[in-house]
Amino acid sequence: MNTPMRGTIAPRAGDRLPELVIGVTRKMIIAGATGSRDWQPQHHDKDAAKQAGLPDIIMNNYTQAGLISRYVTDWSGPIGRIGRLKFSMRRPICPDSQVHFSGQVVSVEENGDQIAWIQLDVAMKQGDTLLTSASVRLAMPADASARSPWRCPPDEWRP
Amino acid sequence: MIIVDHVVTVEQGLWTNFCVAIEDGNLLYWDYTASRDQTDSVIAPPAMLPSWAVEHDWVPGRDRPARRTLELHFMVKDTLGLRNGIVTEVELELHAPLRAGESVRAEQILRSVGPERETRLGTGRNWEIDVQYRKPDGSLAGIQRLHFLAYGKVAA
Repeated sequence: MNTPMRGTIAPRAGDRLPELVIGVTRKMIIAGATGSRDWQPQHHDKDAAKQAGLPDIIMNNYTQAGLISRYVTDWSGPIGRIGRLKFSMRRPICPDSQVHFSGQVVSVEENGDQIAWIQLDVAMKQGDTLLTSASVRLAMPADASARSPWRCPPDEWRP
Repeated sequence: MIIVDHVVTVEQGLWTNFCVAIEDGNLLYWDYTASRDQTDSVIAPPAMLPSWAVEHDWVPGRDRPARRTLELHFMVKDTLGLRNGIVTEVELELHAPLRAGESVRAEQILRSVGPERETRLGTGRNWEIDVQYRKPDGSLAGIQRLHFLAYGKVAA
């Protein structure tokens, strides 16, 4: 379980996130799909997936969003608030895959207010094959005295 | 446009199952004491936002089939006579977090439909759907933008 952080990371463009390797199991794909309330058969029924031309059951997009979010907030701590998460799924993620997560800070925007917006690129690969690419816009406190981005008033929250 | 309104109540037991599946230990989803400083109480994982607009697969007394995960997508796919559909790109713009006991109203809007084309998986088409998620008081919880590829022409 991660712990709250304030001021323990000061992201800068070019910083790399620690790599993460996840061994994807059939159980994870099915539990992720049902946990995200996705009942489509290609996420739990191998025969249905094959009939749809897929190699096996595939990880659903909600589980991928959850894993990308987890990867980013494992690094930022819970004070990091994701404002925007965009991802392209280029190859299906099937059981028995080893998915390598890597990430990099692309830019840090400080507009003189309470929030520093961190733009991140994230890649999910198996070997050299890119499975999913993502970009994430993450809010962090602009400095140690700034309020938490979770306390940002709705009319000032511009993800 | 398809509107899905309060088909499930946000609850911690449901989101905990998802956190367990992906081994997400973010304290804001688990720990009341630790989350107090940031979000007043625990919140649902923001990436799960679309899940709160998916009907229960079975409900007592319902006299119609459950709406599918994103009903508008399936209506487009069926209308165009395509057998299979997959999501290729997703964008989530996240606003107010959701807490236990809340719900969302989701408005699914078809943004565009591309021409028929040959894809790696056969003849198909692309389309885009936006979904706006709002709480009962009208506040914005988030916006989801989805790009689809559907393929496998059903014989006429």
